[in-house]
Amino acid sequence: MPTPTPDVLTRNNVHVIGNPDGQPMVFTHGFGGTQESWRFVTPAFESAYRIVLHDHVGAGQADASAYDPSKYDSLHGYADDILEIIDALDLRDVILVGHSVSGIMAVLAANRRPELFSKLVLVSPSPRYIDDDAYTGGFTQESIDELLDSMDSNYLGWSSSLGQTIMGNPERPELAEGLGETISTIDPAIAAQFARVTFLSDNRRDLADVTVPALILQSEEDVIASVPVGRFVHEHIPGSRLVVMPTRGHIPNLSHPDVVIREIQAYLA
Amino acid sequence: MSIDRDDLLENAPCGLLVTDTDDVVIEVNSTFLRWTGYERHDVMGREFHMLLDRGSRAFYATRYQAELWAQSQVQEVALTALRADGTPMPVLVNASMMYASDRPSGIRVAVFDSTARTDYEREMLGAKRLAEASEARVRVLQEASTLFLAARSETELGAAISLSARNAFAATDVAVVAYNADGIGFRPIVGDHLLDLLGAVRNSRPAGSGALGPNEIFHIATLEDAFSRSAAVGERFRAHRAEALSAVPIADGTNVLGAFVCTFGHSRTFEQASDEVQLALARQAGLAFSRVNLQEQLAKMAMHDQLTGLANRALLDERVAHSMAASDRSGESMAILFVDLDGFKAINDELGHRAGDLVLKEVARRMNDVVREVDIVGRFGGDEFLVVCETADRDGAAHVAERLRRVISEPIPGLPEGLGVSASIGIAVHAPDAAVSISADSLVLVADTAMYESKRAGGDRVTFASV
Repeated sequence: MPTPTPDVLTRNNVHVIGNPDGQPMVFTHGFGGTQESWRFVTPAFESAYRIVLHDHVGAGQADASAYDPSKYDSLHGYADDILEIIDALDLRDVILVGHSVSGIMAVLAANRRPELFSKLVLVSPSPRYIDDDAYTGGFTQESIDELLDSMDSNYLGWSSSLGQTIMGNPERPELAEGLGETISTIDPAIAAQFARVTFLSDNRRDLADVTVPALILQSEEDVIASVPVGRFVHEHIPGSRLVVMPTRGHIPNLSHPDVVIREIQAYLA
Repeated sequence: MSIDRDDLLENAPCGLLVTDTDDVVIEVNSTFLRWTGYERHDVMGREFHMLLDRGSRAFYATRYQAELWAQSQVQEVALTALRADGTPMPVLVNASMMYASDRPSGIRVAVFDSTARTDYEREMLGAKRLAEASEARVRVLQEASTLFLAARSETELGAAISLSARNAFAATDVAVVAYNADGIGFRPIVGDHLLDLLGAVRNSRPAGSGALGPNEIFHIATLEDAFSRSAAVGERFRAHRAEALSAVPIADGTNVLGAFVCTFGHSRTFEQASDEVQLALARQAGLAFSRVNLQEQLAKMAMHDQLTGLANRALLDERVAHSMAASDRSGESMAILFVDLDGFKAINDELGHRAGDLVLKEVARRMNDVVREVDIVGRFGGDEFLVVCETADRDGAAHVAERLRRVISEPIPGLPEGLGVSASIGIAVHAPDAAVSISADSLVLVADTAMYESKRAGGDRVTFASV
């Protein structure tokens, strides 16, 4: 493992906000997102906690030149980055909040260095997307191929791709502030590899190794990670708590931040 | 002309929908229904993502939603909708968030039929993928061949293969192994740390499975496959953060010399196209392997005696000088042993050179057996041998010399009664604190002189030089 350096903070576009004396909360974003995915959740924790946000290499404003296809062909590569960020900031007693695939990165990071963490919060996690004999992940190899097709068609020279969407909603001008520079393009090759790593990994066996207390937040309806998947995660992480929220969609931290905030606060209280 | 706003919304040249924040459709226009063949009541109350195919649904639930909610809008997202009859309809989608008293209250969605554009795109995409794949293939092989050409030793070549495989296949880890002559055992050239994994995989193969065939690639595609081979393989996979593995034979023609083994961080579908690139890389590696082996063999021949395989005079001179210099630096003494065979001339004269050669080979083998790991045995010429003992004091050198004397004088099977050899040995110890410093040549001369003392005293004995 490379030695952590302050460059880690640039590489992963790390932002530290909130209460400098508070317990650290590290938020990590999922596939398709950036640290913006937490923008409606973090304000509720700013007064009490020291909040650390970052982009995964290949997403948002992280340093794309640091992208090493060999390292990032595994969720472990991303989990190592999270640990390097924690080391670079010398954090202890960390509450690690991961959305979607980053929930699994959080599991891998916590299994490697459990002494760094006080709690895990896993929002919409799935340890394995593809169905097999006795397990329903919700996807087949073919549907993953279709997803990759769908991604390809969104990166093939459209005048404005998703990554380049220009901010500006006349009804909420405050959203536009300072966002111009946070939106960046995503290299299609990197996005496709991240999709493969996300959807083709199998981390079911890593759940049993978790020793850090964990909260699982599960949407009532989620086409990416369904309720049975959330239940599977809960049953396999010893001593974990599962909350099925009355929310729909895979990104409740964006679509229902109030519910997510309430549940995290209740868990931390 | 009066403008009918309702008509504009209903019959606009694009599909228009409104969903609530849970993605449930609460309004839809006629254009959308006409294009898709749905009845209004089919669409109302349904989640918009359920009108998409599986790939688009996954993209929609991740990237699209992340963007829409974080940025309040998305533009020109390419998705595939499903018509009422199940046929796919490529669409481009714009969407923007609506707000009521600062909270999201719903989403406006505009849908454009992009069938014509998408068909064209698909063709471009297909062509692009083909071009990229073949370009990548050429690049991989070019880069590899440059790296392989630069390799001067087996270790350097192993490192080059490892680097190429990492870059070309996004392998997490790579081991390069060389097969033993038996075609079953192997030794690692790079990637020692993967030996436990390789061992577990080999043990999970049917008994007697040897080297891979020249075009035989071995795969484990998923973590579950690894566990189904054996629990040991599965656990080793987890320990090495691997979920898939491939082993590709490195062959020169049909002669399989070794293999490179890649581990991958997530499950893989191993397709023919990628197998072919792996094999092409392996073929280049095979040629390079043969070249490097030949070079190493030639280098060895230049430094070794052809008959006995011992160090030759050139290598001995170099080793004596090297050991003396090391001794001067470390302050520890070293020694050389000059060994001359007694009785060898008689064997040569009576039984011929061929028998003499066999005796020399046998003596060489015995000497190699009884010296210490660090000692170097060489043939000085004819029936003269030199042993270089790096770090040895007087006692240590005496021990080695005594073992040599004893083992050399043991009978040699096949020789007639009355014929045999023994050793006259001279020892010169080089102590770095000696007042007089001498050259490597002088040290050898001194040992030679001591050997001659042994010979004059009747042979089969050890004499210390007075340095």
